[in-house]
Order: sequence, then structure tokens, then C-alpha cells
Amino acid sequence: MAEIARDYTVDELMVVTLARQFRSEDIVLNGTVSFIPVAAIMLARATHAPGLTWVAGAVGVDAYPEPLSGNTLDPTMWRRCVMYLPQEHMWSYVHRGVLETFCLRGAQIDKYGNVNNTVIGEYARPRVRLPGSAGMGDMGSLDKRIFIWTTTHTPRTFVERVDFRSCAGYLDGGDARERLGLKNGPQLVITNLCVMDFEPESKHMRLKSLHPGVTLEEVQAQTGFRLLIPKAIPPTEPPTVEEIRLLREVIDPRGMRKLEFRGAPARA
Amino acid sequence: MATKKADKVMTLTEAASLVRDGDTVALQGMGTQMSPLALVRELIRAGKRDLTIVMIVGGIGLDWLIAAGCVRRVIAIIVNLDEFGMAHAFRRAVEAGEVVMEEYSEHQLLSRLLAGAYGLPFLVTRSGLGTDLIALHPETTRIIACPFTGQEVVACRALVPDVAILHAHRADRYGNVQFFPKPIWLDADVFPRAAKKVIVTVEEIIENEEIRRTPIHTGIPYFKVDAVVEVPYGAHPCSLYPFYAFDRALFQEYATASRTVEGTRAFLDRYIYGPTTHAEYLQRVGGAEMLLRIRKWE
Repeated sequence: MAEIARDYTVDELMVVTLARQFRSEDIVLNGTVSFIPVAAIMLARATHAPGLTWVAGAVGVDAYPEPLSGNTLDPTMWRRCVMYLPQEHMWSYVHRGVLETFCLRGAQIDKYGNVNNTVIGEYARPRVRLPGSAGMGDMGSLDKRIFIWTTTHTPRTFVERVDFRSCAGYLDGGDARERLGLKNGPQLVITNLCVMDFEPESKHMRLKSLHPGVTLEEVQAQTGFRLLIPKAIPPTEPPTVEEIRLLREVIDPRGMRKLEFRGAPARA
Repeated sequence: MATKKADKVMTLTEAASLVRDGDTVALQGMGTQMSPLALVRELIRAGKRDLTIVMIVGGIGLDWLIAAGCVRRVIAIIVNLDEFGMAHAFRRAVEAGEVVMEEYSEHQLLSRLLAGAYGLPFLVTRSGLGTDLIALHPETTRIIACPFTGQEVVACRALVPDVAILHAHRADRYGNVQFFPKPIWLDADVFPRAAKKVIVTVEEIIENEEIRRTPIHTGIPYFKVDAVVEVPYGAHPCSLYPFYAFDRALFQEYATASRTVEGTRAFLDRYIYGPTTHAEYLQRVGGAEMLLRIRKWE
């Protein structure tokens, strides 16, 4: 039984929680400004999922880069890979389902796991023009197992209905996604307060576990729609001492994962 | 079409004159990587107007062009400054209704460009099904049924840019363009095939014999290239892997300055309108000391 860590921070808990979702047989690629997913992929590969294939920076197949240094699409991420994957090949693998796992975040997330990173307000004359859908516009429709993360669990992020559907989650809930012929979809939402999943029938977002020191009332108050609440709400599984050591000393000694907590406007 | 021995070497100013007001310009650039930014600065100084800029991932060059009033329309999947945050000139211009953002998912935009490259009317994808991205532009994306199975797919209309502009590692005078490694990102791969005209700036112009000794590195053949310009560090402040890294300091300076219209203007005056040559520009952004730093990937 691995020793449980006592001293850890919320960014570390998020990385560890995400890392534990990855399986050894997974092929995972990362997107832009994705320090938490990249740290999680590296941690999973260093612990329970040694067989995991990481397409680093969407290009470097099975790369082994140095510790995280910034810019998760940079060529420095491709080091010691077995192949530079031309992007047209990458898209064929994504389309066919060879690459099946993707992590993303956005400015708005609704109760059915649809994500908006395009506009707040009307599309043509938006109140806020956000960066854009980028990979999420593809991945939601191409049968990916999607893991959503956000460092800003607030009613502004978690909304009843997104202003613009940049990423297809469970659409209007129930079997709406299935009827459109889309497989898989959002699996888990990992935030700075808690972990959430989706109730299998309604596909409505549901609380799964609370981070240490966070109450149910707080999560509900910071969520802009009524969350489904299970009978038992466990605490989020804490990291092990070894996971924290790997994260701090080997994978991300510069603490790049903390950059995601700067409170900057959301980026894809 | 170009002959094998047509000398296409020209100056930045001459190359910029191949881009006309109102053109659809496919501009290479992936976040902080590989973008023909010396040529972008030349287009700004030349006062181009009403351009439609096509980028997969819109970045700093696009934001400069918007800030300088050169752009009417953007075709892209995302526009930002990567880890440096929002592209503020883009955000302000779209919010004010001065620039139209034509947003696609990545595979929709790739399908449009590949259709253009093949001379087909459209190609199909499943990307974007269930999103609001398809209904945004019924003139270019529509859901259709597969004639064989009835499955719903997204038809993506061909996109043929008037001109593609790129920065690469080296080329000969005739326009045989080499990359180290060969094109990975979609723009260097697909833009030159889809566009009518192709302008390439390179770090170094080499002999045709050297190309023939190393054809494994050639990514674009002479018959698709219209202009070659030698511009060492022509991607600055973006990187050209593995030759030099992106200039973190200048990216940060622009990210901060561009929070206001005045700051953006001052940045353009200092770094784009001020220096009249590329050599002057390199001096102004830090000269030899900075170049040493980016060559060491620090």
C-alpha cells in the first residue's frame, strides 16, 4: 500500500486525479497551454501506465522531453520521440479513432459537458471574443474520451447553457449525442474544487468527489446549474508520496502547472 | 508556370508587392513557431488593406496585421498568443465589428484547404458535428448525407488562397524549398499546395547542386514557388526549429503592450514602422546578444 501524501496543493491533486484516468493502452495527444494534462500524462507513464503512448505537442510520438518548461506545443516537447507525426497523419488517426483520448478546457462548460471557447454573447458582435474552438471543435465530434479540466470553478464557467457550442459534449442530454452517431464523450470534469462525472442516463453533470476542505454547499454555490448529488460523496483520492515526489522533482520542478492558476482569461 | 531555371530571388519589398489589397493570404505560423514575420512587417509598412488572413492557429503576426488595419476577415480555428494569452488587437477588432472571424474546427479548415489543393469542390469530415460551428457559414460548411450509406457528414467547400507566405530553412534561387525537418504542421504542408501564388522567405539561399545532394529535405518544388527572399531570422520573434527558439522577451513585451490600443500603436511604431530594414529591426529587438540567446534555445 503506497504511502499517502499529507503535504500537497490543489494543482498537484488535479494532476494526480487526471493521471489516474489514463490507461497503459491509451494513445494520448496534448493541446496548447495544457500544463496540467501534460504533467498528468508524464506522471501516468512514470507510474501505473508505463505503456501509455504520448504524442507530445501533437507531433512527437512517444517523446521523452526534459521537465516541463513552458509552451506545450513547442518543439522542445518532441525530444527523443520515435517520429515527428505530420499533422495530416495525426488527423487520420484522430478521425479513425486510433487516438481516443483528449483533455480540454474552456471559458464555459454546461451541465451536459458542452464547452464554449468561442464567444460570450452573440457570435457576430460578441461581448467577449474568446480565442476559439481549436481542437475541441474536432475532438467532441470525433468520438474521443474527453477529460475536461478547469482551474476556475465559478458560476461564470459552469453555466446552464453555453453561449456557443465549440465542443460537442452530450448536447441536449439523454441519448442526443448517440442519436447523432457520436461515440464516447466527456468522461470527467476535474476542477480546483471537486471532481464531477456524468449520470449515465440523463448525461447530466454529477458530483463525484470533493477536494479536501471544500463543502458541497460551496461547490453548488460556485456552479451555475443544479448539480446531481450522489448519496455518498467521498473525498477526492489523495496523491501518494511517490506521485508528489515525481511531480515536484522530475516532471515539473519549475511548477509550470501553477501557471494555469494565474486567473488569465480562459484559453483552449 | 515557372521554368526550372527562373531566378525567383527578390527583396522583401518586391515580394510584398505580389500581395494585393483584398487578397486572401494564407499565413504560416503555429503558436510561437515558424512564421514569415519579416514579410508580415513588410506588408504592414506597405499599407496593405482589406486582406483575408488564413491561419490554422492565428498568432502574433495576425494580431500585428489587425492592429495595423490591414485585415478585413480572419479564417482560423483559434487566435491567441499561445502561453502569452489573448491576442488583444484581434479581440478588440472582432468585438467592435471591424474584423470578421470565420471560425472552423481544425479538420474542417484542413478539409477546405485540401479540397483547394486537389482542385475538388469540397471534401467531407465528421469534425464539428453537434457544434455551432457548422451553421456559422452555410456558404462553406453544410451537413450532407453520404450517397452510399446515408451517414451525415460535413461538406467543406474548397478554399484557394490568392497567396501563401511561409518561412523555411533554406531554398535555391529557383524555389526548391527545404525544411529541417520536412513540414509537420499543416500550414507548411497544405498552404503552398492550395494557394495560387507562393512566397517563401528563408534563412539561407543555397546552390541548386546542394538541393540535388539533399532532396530528402525538399518540401516544396520550384514549380509551385513564385518568390524566394533570403531573410536570416525571418521568423523572429517566432522560432525556427531547430535553428532558433522564439523570443520570449519580445512576446511578453507585445502581450503586455497590446492590452491597450495606445500600447499596441507604440509597439508597432517602435518595432515595425521604425526600422526600415530587417537588419535594423534585429538591432532594435536586441541584436547579437538576443540572437545568441535564441540560438541556444534559452
